[in-house]
Amino acid sequence: MRKVIGRVSFLLIMMLVLGACSSDNSSSEGSAGEGDGSGKKVTAWAWNINVPVLEEAAKKFKEENPDFELEVVELGREDVYSKLTTGLQTGGKGLPDIILVEDDRVQGYMETFPDAFVNVSDKGFDESKDSFPTYKTELLSKDGAMYGFPFDGGPTGVFYRTDYFEEAGVNADDIKTWDDFIEAGKKIKDATGKAMLGLDLNGDDGLYRMMMTQQGTFYFDDEKNVNFTSEESKQASEKVKMMKEAGLVKDTVGWDAWISAMAQGEVATAPSGAWLSGSITQQAKDTEGNWGVFKLPAFEEDGNRASNLGGSNYVITSASNNQDLAYDFMEFFSTNDDVQLTAMDNGLFPTLNTIYENEAFTQEVSFFSNQPIWELFASEMNDIPSVNFTGNYAIASDESIKAQSEIMNGKKSIEEAYKAAEDRLKNRIQ
Amino acid sequence: MNKAKTFPYFFAAPAILLFLAFTVYPIIASFVLSFQERVAGEYVFAGLKNYTRLWNDDIFWTAMQNTFIIFVVQVPIMIILAMVLANVLNNQLLKLKGFFRVSFFLPAVTSLVAYSILFSIMLQEEGIINTALSYIGITAIPWLSDPFWAKASIIIAMTWRWTGYNMVIFLAALQNIPEDLYEAASLDGANKFKQFFYITVPQLKPVILFAGILSTIGTLQLFDEPFNLTGGGPADSTMTLGLYIYQSGFEYFDFGYASAIAYAVVVMVGILSIIQFKIAGDE
Repeated sequence: MRKVIGRVSFLLIMMLVLGACSSDNSSSEGSAGEGDGSGKKVTAWAWNINVPVLEEAAKKFKEENPDFELEVVELGREDVYSKLTTGLQTGGKGLPDIILVEDDRVQGYMETFPDAFVNVSDKGFDESKDSFPTYKTELLSKDGAMYGFPFDGGPTGVFYRTDYFEEAGVNADDIKTWDDFIEAGKKIKDATGKAMLGLDLNGDDGLYRMMMTQQGTFYFDDEKNVNFTSEESKQASEKVKMMKEAGLVKDTVGWDAWISAMAQGEVATAPSGAWLSGSITQQAKDTEGNWGVFKLPAFEEDGNRASNLGGSNYVITSASNNQDLAYDFMEFFSTNDDVQLTAMDNGLFPTLNTIYENEAFTQEVSFFSNQPIWELFASEMNDIPSVNFTGNYAIASDESIKAQSEIMNGKKSIEEAYKAAEDRLKNRIQ
Repeated sequence: MNKAKTFPYFFAAPAILLFLAFTVYPIIASFVLSFQERVAGEYVFAGLKNYTRLWNDDIFWTAMQNTFIIFVVQVPIMIILAMVLANVLNNQLLKLKGFFRVSFFLPAVTSLVAYSILFSIMLQEEGIINTALSYIGITAIPWLSDPFWAKASIIIAMTWRWTGYNMVIFLAALQNIPEDLYEAASLDGANKFKQFFYITVPQLKPVILFAGILSTIGTLQLFDEPFNLTGGGPADSTMTLGLYIYQSGFEYFDFGYASAIAYAVVVMVGILSIIQFKIAGDE
């Protein structure tokens, strides 16, 4: 008898322990929407300033769909990716219905996990396709169907200190090419002693990427061939190197150093995506009224001055048990002018082109010396070239940064460094 | 009778089950995974492909080399520092012992990310460290942007973080050295230095070995410092095996390959531990 009791209690303990694991499982699956049976709750993962936008949108959506409920789980950006990767790795366990994914990452997920996201063209999103710039819709397309909702974009511009420019007698309107930019940088350095821009030479290649996009290409060309040794790549890299050699670059390691260089007035410009306006407005409050924006300089006079850096999209996971409702909500979210205007209030630049006529875009922004900067960014949207991120963006980015680092440290010439990077990259993605 | 026999198992059961679920299973699963690759979203058996690729992977060898350099420089410095500190803090004449002990141990319990961010701010080109150096006439050091100095920064950060931890281990061990050994030595006329080298060090040998093995494993798995401080750069000069495993899995979605690297690390930890045991001799 005792023996029996002993075995039974042993089993009980085992069940308790295993039960603890498995109940954990089902609860996280619950977040994937099958929920409590009502089927009206949708869960989303997003970070930072995207969260209030989702919540505002849910409120508006609720007016028509009173039963609808949205649970936004706020996670760090990197955490979203880690959790998404792990979730897809295990066949979709524990994933929410909706996830925010950035432009540079989304194709990696679409290629590595072909069934990860819901085909939104099947659900009728093609109708709204024309409301978004092609570079965005192409990014999210595979075999002619779209797998996500375009959200914000990063049309580029050069943010600059109007007071430094004035002190050095440089007129921003006269900067038409990158060579003009470098000349202006030298003048400003002489007059004010300030560096022209901050770059993380060993950790980020944002300027190179902007320059590549500007020239209509990227790490990979349209046929997915590695593009490091192309003429475009050489041109871009040469300009960055010239800036460095002219002493115009302050080496800022990491995001914080870059932003604080702006806040403390150590740099005169920052070429970046429109989203930077949110960060400097918040973190460099003292410099209000001393900033302006002009479009990226071109490679030759009258060349293309529109480019993109950053931006994100929403996807619905295939693991979601509530795909239709998630779709309805996201369609509303993506195409509703009011929702996208709240996004703008939060410092995100919407890619929904139906709102560019709105007066919010023509308003003068006091932080930027009363310049209507949103109009400037919006005017770029149709000229931003579509580029091929491919599923190997992350590896390519790693090699690109290495090549840049070797060039800037004087270890290798531009040709050598990019040739080596191209060879290594080909090896790594075969 | 029966009760007495089965009784211990009840208490062991939860621990064993958790161990099976969270240690044994992952070990086996990742071993299997290291022979697989992902094709069109599905895992398929790939034979030794991941391992042959590893053999020919420059980044892997660079990471090995970096890890080795950091290991060879950092571990001895840290162990010696920890031992010296432990001795000083064990001194009867020292006041405020508790305060010093806590201060040295504190880095080991601070948040990894917080300390890495602090270090990266201090190590900026115009950061507090270079500013301080400029007062004594040393020109700015490119702490994070030069391959050599980036490694040095990692070593400094690791030493700052782990010396106190090892010091506590040594402090505990020092309590076990009988006082009469020192007494006898001082009667024979041995000074403090001689006592340290001929009594303290030999007596601490097993503990030195223990700290050495822990640090070896820690260095081979080194991840936090390069991840937060340098991102493996410039140009892979601070790439470590731990960071490469993470990048391969979570950034490049190549979990099969990441598992293969992880197993290479396991083999190396095993080999190095055996060597250390052999050098230390005895048991």
